[in-house]
Amino acid sequence: MTGASSEILMFQVGARVFASVVHDAVRIGAVREVPPAELVMDSALGPPFGRDRGIVVAADEGNEWTLVIDQVIGVRSIPEEDVHPLPAFAAACLASGAVTGFVMVDEAPMLLVDLPTLVRERSGAAAAS
Amino acid sequence: MLVRTRLADNRPGMPEPTGQPRADSAQQGSAPEAWFFCLRLLGGRYAFEAPLVIEVVRLGPLTRLPAAPAFLPGVFTHRGEVLPVLDIGQLVGQPAIPIRPSTRAALVHCGPWKVAVVSEGVEGLVAIPRKNLEHAPSEASGVAEFLSAVGRDAQGPVAILDLPRLVDTARARAVPAGSGQA
Repeated sequence: MTGASSEILMFQVGARVFASVVHDAVRIGAVREVPPAELVMDSALGPPFGRDRGIVVAADEGNEWTLVIDQVIGVRSIPEEDVHPLPAFAAACLASGAVTGFVMVDEAPMLLVDLPTLVRERSGAAAAS
Repeated sequence: MLVRTRLADNRPGMPEPTGQPRADSAQQGSAPEAWFFCLRLLGGRYAFEAPLVIEVVRLGPLTRLPAAPAFLPGVFTHRGEVLPVLDIGQLVGQPAIPIRPSTRAALVHCGPWKVAVVSEGVEGLVAIPRKNLEHAPSEASGVAEFLSAVGRDAQGPVAILDLPRLVDTARARAVPAGSGQA
């Protein structure tokens, strides 16, 4: 690979696999030690099957939130040309601003998620309720 | 998969079914027929201005989007481009249009938006005698809300959709980002 590339983290929530930029994740680990108030269980990505693992994400002036996921699939380097923005019409219609585009993985589009936005939306919704 | 291209060629002008004059309508008004692009939807024949159509494509596997409204069943890739799919049935409160490997969609440009309008079948270009075009009934619900005219050709009645208004309305009815979830 000679061109620019992005490192993406692939993870599963429920039945679906998503991707995020690797540096959005502070760390990955078990969630049992995390205070419930810092857990993001039911995000725009849908609910996870289990409650064992999480991705710690920094948002809101350094506050950390833990997005509960089912498993980490792995990390992969993706050429920039395989990263696509969300189509304008789709971006204008989604109720979440956290889905920013797609990465082509093995010729299949995988949703690219902005983790800080995702947990910020959820934490904002929780605060509002 | 390309099914049909170059729709813009050899087309007479479009009609003015809504009665609202267009800047380029003087020459068009003299044509005895108006040309539309016709799809089968919701058990009927629906058409819209033919120049909006870029091509007809067979839908590939859909990637569903989280937090998407029902009328946006997903996106698919076509020649390396990710395209959103619009289900008019879901927008107007009707059942979803079934999406199968054989399902075709009209890829259209409506203002800033490029969307694939999923259909039950594609008829393609239809010519409707201008004398057979009438104003749409003034109903404000269901698909009738988006009709600009009704017409008839040799195959039967055709409802003419104001597709740009329909697409804009769909976008406007979607929940703004950050205020909800799937």
